[in-house]
Amino acid sequence: MMYYEYLTVGIILFILGVLGIVLNRSNLIIMLMSIELMLLSISLLFLINSIVLDNLIGQIFTIMILTVAAAETAIGLAILVAYYRIRGTIAVRSLNILRG
Amino acid sequence: MFILVLLIPLLSAIISGLFGKKIGTKGAGILTSSCITISAIISCGIFYITCLNSSTTYIKLWKWFDSELFTTYFGLQFDSLTSTMLLVITCVSALVHIYSTGYMARDPHIPRFMSYLSLFTFLMIVLVTSNNYVQLFIGWEGVGLCSYLLINFWLTRIEANKAAMKAMFVNRVGDIGLVLAMLMILKEFGALEFATINSLLVTSAINKENITIICLLLFLGAVGKSAQLGLHTWLPDAMEGPTPVSALIHAATMVTAGVFLIIRSSPLFEISPLALTIVTILGALTAFFAATTGVLQNDLKKVIAYSTCSQLGYMVMVCGVSNYSTSLFHLMNHAFFKALLFLSAGSIIHAVKDEQDMRKMGGLIKSTPFTYIMILIGSLSLMGFPYLAGFYSKDLILELIYDKYYIAFAYWLGSFSALLTAFYSIRLMYITFIANTNAKKEIFLGAHEPSKNITIPLLLLALGSIFVGYLAKEAVLSNVIPPIISNTIKIIPLLFSLFGAIFAFSLYNSTIVGRIWGPYPAQDKNQNWNLYHKFYTFFNSAWQFNYIINHFLVRNIWKFGHLITYRVIDRGLLEIIGPRGISKIFIKLTQNMSNLQSGMVFNYALIMIIFTTLFISGYQFPKGF
Repeated sequence: MMYYEYLTVGIILFILGVLGIVLNRSNLIIMLMSIELMLLSISLLFLINSIVLDNLIGQIFTIMILTVAAAETAIGLAILVAYYRIRGTIAVRSLNILRG
Repeated sequence: MFILVLLIPLLSAIISGLFGKKIGTKGAGILTSSCITISAIISCGIFYITCLNSSTTYIKLWKWFDSELFTTYFGLQFDSLTSTMLLVITCVSALVHIYSTGYMARDPHIPRFMSYLSLFTFLMIVLVTSNNYVQLFIGWEGVGLCSYLLINFWLTRIEANKAAMKAMFVNRVGDIGLVLAMLMILKEFGALEFATINSLLVTSAINKENITIICLLLFLGAVGKSAQLGLHTWLPDAMEGPTPVSALIHAATMVTAGVFLIIRSSPLFEISPLALTIVTILGALTAFFAATTGVLQNDLKKVIAYSTCSQLGYMVMVCGVSNYSTSLFHLMNHAFFKALLFLSAGSIIHAVKDEQDMRKMGGLIKSTPFTYIMILIGSLSLMGFPYLAGFYSKDLILELIYDKYYIAFAYWLGSFSALLTAFYSIRLMYITFIANTNAKKEIFLGAHEPSKNITIPLLLLALGSIFVGYLAKEAVLSNVIPPIISNTIKIIPLLFSLFGAIFAFSLYNSTIVGRIWGPYPAQDKNQNWNLYHKFYTFFNSAWQFNYIINHFLVRNIWKFGHLITYRVIDRGLLEIIGPRGISKIFIKLTQNMSNLQSGMVFNYALIMIIFTTLFISGYQFPKGF
């Protein structure tokens, strides 16, 4: 078994997603994609662990996560479109109106 | 009858003060004068009972403080000392009341004035009749308060305000001494009644050092009230009040309270030779200092004020050689002739349209001969002219001082101040009455004798200053043994006085010398003139005491108060540690914290992830954060 390699790949994917959110300052779509990447990596980890532990709940969770991710992306893209319609830009930098 | 002497002045003060508008100016004058006169008659009766028939009366009124360690009653004590003081206070006060109705006739606030005068008399009576120190302290503070109100009677004048505040503050310095002395007495004896203290002094073993400290603190109180050297500066300034007030403060009531305190505490003073020596020395110095200052004053009232200071020096001085009854006797005589002098001065001031500067008077003998005679009687009595009141006490004081040979310099200081006293009395009379006039023509022509309300008290006081010494000497001085000293010494004060009088007369009479010595000497710029000018300035400004005290003491304390306690401590340290500093820190902290919420989504994400990571990994913040 190459359990640790799979695990490492999943975690690296997750970290890449996180970095994509944190470091990205220009594009809102990249942020959405990073979130998708994070959800994907989590799904992957669930699947790996489900196989390793020989447990079905991980796969059930994965299916649910996929559903949620699809819904979330749909809503996110809808917000993005609405936002673009008002502001004319989708830069993350310009999302700073609600300052503390 | 014994309580009435207290209640009647209080009643007159209350009625005149609270219902002054209803009874009117005339009513207030009549009411208060008659009340104090009744009080004076009663005090004559008390004098007869307690002093002539020597039956001391004690009246216990009601309980005041009642704690485990310390019980005090309101109580009255009428012994010969109290009754003599009562007689002096009420008689002089009654005459001053009658005088004020004439002198203040055109003042719009007569009811208030009469009310203050009566209150002053009442509190002075409280002071002398109390049988313990606490009750005495009520009167002590009360006369201080009343002196403030009376000096400040014309309250629109800034000088009067300042003088009144000065009187109050300088008196407070002495009052602190009295309070501390009371605390020490309480610690030492456990009681504040005079009778208890006096009997404990005889029986129990007492700590002499503590008694000395008590005596010195009591004497500090007396120094403040009786205007001895050091705390005397308020007395000349108190001349800002109306003239009857000066007469009351300086003759009968306020300044005598200090001497009264010493006489009342005489058993304590007898135990402490050190305190007695200090009392004598300070008294002699005061007598001398005030006499030298009085010589070169140009204000009519200030001359008399400094002579009061000087005579108080005599009284305190003779207390220091344990002859308290002589001191009381001089106090009595002094009350009469000093009231006479002040009221006559008021009469002159009235005659020349409220001008107090002697240099702007002169030649008044023709227009006001009656006042001249009055002031002549008063001055001769003050100088100790034989057969007048001052003679009986003043010469006796000097003889008694000489008798204690170890303090002989006090005798010489006293004798020399007798010379100076004669000098300034004659100078006052000469410049005011005999010399060529300096007044404006209309003022000089308009000078006239005052109304009956003013002349009758003067006449009665003049009779008092002539006869009181002779009449009262048996009653007051029954226990004084005249010292056996040589006749030359006995006659020296008289010779000195005569010399001073003749010297002053010749100096101001001769035109050549008069120009040099006069108030405005010739303006030549030679060496002599400069020396004379310095000399004159020094004595005219009372040895520069005011300057020294203001410059070195008051100003430094003021500066300390502003710079250190106000700016550094109050507005500085306490405020920075306190409200302002804390609010500053919190505002900065909250601003920093709200700056974290920058509006940048990726920052939020970073913070969220960091803290989620910390949470998941089980990181714990250090305790106490």
